[in-house]
Order: sequence, then C-alpha cells, then structure tokens
Amino acid sequence: MTRAEINHKLGGVLQQVFDNPSLVFADTTTANDVEGWDSVMHVSVIVAVEKAFGVRFSTKEVKSLANVGDFVRLIEKRAQ
Amino acid sequence: MLKSDRRELEYFALMKRAKELPISDNRQLRVAILADVSTQHLTPLLRALFAGNGVTVHIYEAGFDTVELEALDPNSGLYSFDPEVVVILQSLGKLKANYYDFPADPASFVASKATHIEQVWKAIRARSGAPIIQSTFVLPYERPFGNYGNAGVNTLHGAASDLNREICLRARANPGVLINDVDYLAAWVGRRHFIDEKLWSVSKSLCALELMPDVAQNVVDIALATQGRTVKCVVLDLDNTLWGGVVGDEGLDGIELGDRDETGTFRSFQLYLRELGRRGILLAVCSKNDESVARRVFQEHPGMVLREADIAVFIANWDDKATNIRRIREKLNIGFDSMVFLDDNPFERNLVRQLLPEVIVPELSEDPELYVRTISELNLFEVASHSELDLQRAALYRDQEERALESSRFVNLDDYLKSLETRARVARFEPRELGRIAQLLQRSNQFNLTTRRHSEAECEAMMRDEEAYFPFSISVRDRFGDFGLINLVILRHSGTVLEIDTFVMSCRVLQRGVEQLAMNKIFEYARRVGCDRVIGRYIPSPKNGMVKSFYAQFGFERLSGDDAEGLLWSLKPSDYVEREVYITEGHSLAEQAA
Repeated sequence: MTRAEINHKLGGVLQQVFDNPSLVFADTTTANDVEGWDSVMHVSVIVAVEKAFGVRFSTKEVKSLANVGDFVRLIEKRAQ
Repeated sequence: MLKSDRRELEYFALMKRAKELPISDNRQLRVAILADVSTQHLTPLLRALFAGNGVTVHIYEAGFDTVELEALDPNSGLYSFDPEVVVILQSLGKLKANYYDFPADPASFVASKATHIEQVWKAIRARSGAPIIQSTFVLPYERPFGNYGNAGVNTLHGAASDLNREICLRARANPGVLINDVDYLAAWVGRRHFIDEKLWSVSKSLCALELMPDVAQNVVDIALATQGRTVKCVVLDLDNTLWGGVVGDEGLDGIELGDRDETGTFRSFQLYLRELGRRGILLAVCSKNDESVARRVFQEHPGMVLREADIAVFIANWDDKATNIRRIREKLNIGFDSMVFLDDNPFERNLVRQLLPEVIVPELSEDPELYVRTISELNLFEVASHSELDLQRAALYRDQEERALESSRFVNLDDYLKSLETRARVARFEPRELGRIAQLLQRSNQFNLTTRRHSEAECEAMMRDEEAYFPFSISVRDRFGDFGLINLVILRHSGTVLEIDTFVMSCRVLQRGVEQLAMNKIFEYARRVGCDRVIGRYIPSPKNGMVKSFYAQFGFERLSGDDAEGLLWSLKPSDYVEREVYITEGHSLAEQAA
C-alpha cells in the first residue's frame, strides 16, 4: 500500500468517524484542527482505523501520535 | 429491548444515530451513572438505545471514579439530579489495585469490599427512591495460580468470583438493587475479546468499543424493566416450533417429538419455555391448525413437556396470526410491546412485524437446536423485582378463561357476579406485601390514575407514616382461583382534605366491583377521620385512557384549578353514594391457604 493510498483511505475513515464528508486532512493536521476530535473521539478514531486497515497499534504508539502524518507513517509501518 | 436480532448493536452505527436523535415527546427518564471507568463512550449508546425503545433519556455522568463521593455526600450532583435510575459500573482494574493494596488478611477482602459496596447502595437508597443497577466484575484472565485460581481463597480470581456471588446475594436482600451482570456478557463473547488493555490504558474504557453496545443494551433492558417495561407473554407457533413436522399432515405419531425427536431438541426447547412459564411469563399458542388436532398433542402425546395447563390462551384456527395475536392481547389485557412471538416461519414473522410492529419477533435460526440461544441472546426476560405471585399468574389467567366461559351462561351480570362468590381482603400496607405492591406500581399502566411509580422504599415509608398516609391494598379470590393482591390505593392527608395520590388496579379484575369496593373504602375512611373533601387526580399517560372518566363515574366534579400534574376532581364525603358490590369482605390468609 503506497503512502498516497493510505492517505486516501485514512481520509475516508476519518470522514466517516466524524460524520463529515467534507473534512480534508494534511500531514500536519492535528486533533486541535478538527472540530470534535477530543480524547473520547480519539479512541473511536483508533478503533475505526485499526478495523479498516486490519492492524493493531500498541498503547505507546497510540499515545505518541502528534498529527495525521504520524498516523499515516504508523499505518504504513504496521501494514507492511 | 431488542426487537429482532443482535445486528442492532453496532457501535459506529449507534454512535451516528445518537447524534441524529429527533426531538420527540417520548417518555422521559433520568438516569445517573456512577463509575470507576470512563463513561463517555457509553452515554451516546444509551441515548440511541433508549430512543429505540421510545424513551428519551437524560443522563447524569458523575466524575470519573467518584462512586462513593457522590453516594455519600447528600449535596452531591447525583441527588440534585434526582435520578429515576442509578447505574453503578465498576471494573476489575480498580478492584485489582484494591486487592493488591489490601492491608489486612486477603481472606477478608471479599467481605470488606462487599460491605463497602452495600454501604454505597444504602446511602443512595436513603436519599433516593431510584432503583440501583450494580455491575458485576469481569473476572481476570491472568493465572498466577493456574487452574487453582478459582479454587483459591487468596487469589485475585477467587476473590473477584466470590465478590460477584456476594454482590448478587446482597442485592437480593436489598430491595431496589438489581444486577447488571457484566461478567456474563464478557464470558459470553469471551473475555479475550471483551477486555481491551489498550483502551483501558488510553481512556479507562471498561471494554472493547465494539462490545460497549452490549453493556449499554444490558443497562437499557434492566432500566426499562424497573419502569414496568417487561415481556409478559410469549406467543408460540406449534408445527416446526414446538415439535418437528406438521401434525395435521403427519398425525400425532408422525411428528418429531419424544422418541422421534432423537436429539432431544424440541424437548429442551419446551423445558426452556416451561421454565419461562414458571417464572411468570404467560405462554400462549397461536397456530394454524384445527383446534382439536392441536390440542390433542398437548393432551395425549407422551413427549410433550408443555401441557394445556401451561398455556394461558390457546388459539388454533386458520385466521391470520396478527388477528390471533390481537385476540390473545385482548384476553390477557397486556400491551403489544410486552409480547414476544416465536415462529419458525419467516412469512409469519414478517407478517406480524408489519402488522403489529410493537410485538417483539426474534429472528429464529433455521436450526431448532439454536432457538434457545437466539432467544437468550436478545435478553428479553429481565426481572425488576421477583415476587412469588408471578409463579401463580399463568394459572390465574387460565381460571379467567373458565370464568369467561361461565359468564356466557348467565344472562344477568349481577347474577353472574354473585355466583363467583368473590371475597376480598382490604388492609393497610403490610411489610410482607411491599414487594408485590412495588411490583404492581411498576407494572400497571392502564388502570392507573396517576402512574406514580413509587418505589418499594417509598411505599414502606408511607406505610409507616400514619399521620400523613393511609395506603391500602385489596386482595381478591373467587371460587375459581386466587387473584392475590390486585388493587392499591394511597390516600394522603392535607388538612381536612384527603387526596387520592395513587389508584392502581390490575386489569384482570375489571368489572368485578373491586374498584367500587375500593371507592366505598376511601369514603368510609374519609368520614371516619372527618375529612370534608376527597380529591382525585387523573394524570393522562399514553396508556391510561380507559380511566379518564373514572372519577366522573363516582359523582366527582371537575375542579377548575387543574394543575400541571393532571386533572383534579373533588367530592364531599356527604355526597358520595355507596356502591353496591357482590364481594364478601375479610378472607384471611389462613383461609387462602385452606
């Protein structure tokens, strides 16, 4: 899976979780930039992404994510 | 309650639905949640699932891990919220820390912790009439003692397991405390799927998100039961449901049952149904068959577990099933939403779903071996309080069918009523009857003037308060059987005015003169204590339309000053005309036993 494919799919998953098809994400997007992305939503995001990509993240990985770019790199690493 | 199958419990779909809940004039319910886990993922699910049952829920989420603080502080947010249901959710995570830090002998841990939990219940019950829904602890998976873990006294596994048992035992002794068996849910799906260490670590989540809806549904089921929403009747198809094959085609000896039911499938299904019957759920038959052919199986087939005596209403004919279910409902005087319909035939299931959308129609598996599993997964048979009277209910409705038969022989209603030799016992509330009293208050919807759901504790308080209250009950029997306690009246004094706070009657005894007897008693009492006015109140609800003219029928006059709480009616004791009833008073319990 290429970085671009991951980007595209992740965008779709996030749009679904936040129930907003017009959301756009860049690598530098952080939770603060997205309305409603609080700690509760973050848990939903993690679970939805794990399900969509068929991967499991560790607790440490989940806690260390700073922005969407980190997320993409993490998925890339796990999905290998 | 789930209406069809478990696919209704999908986390993301429910979260989405929670955001889009329409504003409605649903019944409102205030639910408080006290937890040592995070509840933010649970509350949207509760909103969505309650809404699916026609209830708009208002939720008070106490701060994280403040169960004791909220319960013990009389000025806490919990009490100012004035909950109607209190949910206590506790996790193994906290328990584990408690266990390893416990200063005393580990052997005393369970008793100490159970007492602690019980004190929380008592503190809440002292300040609120709301029922408490207490979770069990999910048993741990770690096994430092191997298989000995559950046998050991001084092991975490043994302690959690004993504590769960202790909580259940103590709940039985504490009226108004109900068990939310989270460990059962975890065990059913498998603890390895239920427990999610990462979510616990990140957000103190009780379990994996995808299983959170199961926990929420369990809470909804129990809470609805406390509000009188329970299943009261299971309607059964016969051919290929209670036995294999079609009795009309294959004959009494041809159906798969007894010796011909080699795997015992239908026998175990019938045993399960009989257990429901013994628990107080009414069983009814709704079958496309000739009645005599269908009844003969119940009368003569040696492989039948269920007999005619287990069936409260038996309908076998060639009319459509929706029509027949309507007939069953009329006979039993219950709501469609308290009926479950079991039929192997998808056509019949869909017909009933379409014509009677309130009826619960489980999507039965094609394999009869899985009937009990499918039904169990829906958790349809929640209990709000258990009283012995439930056990007698099936017999009671059957007596009623005989009475109906009898009544067709009499032309004159008075003659018929006299022939029933009805006897009644009228008494101020008594401690041993409080369980049944609270149950009647929770369950009665139709003949209920104010629909005030006083809890058992509140009834007890009124029973003891002789200054302000005269709460009484009426128990009735006749020559066909014992109805038990079926009428409740709570009278409240304010100066020389006597207000009827509550007037509730079981619909099983309609038109027997019981309500007339109760009204005679109210005015007898009003005269005795020298009241100059009796006030009746009618608070309309979606289900109590049948009593909207109840006070008018006794000569009460509408007061102009209706308040926010319904319509007010008034009558002077000197103007009340005593009603004639054909009921003899004062059968004692000893007589009942004889």
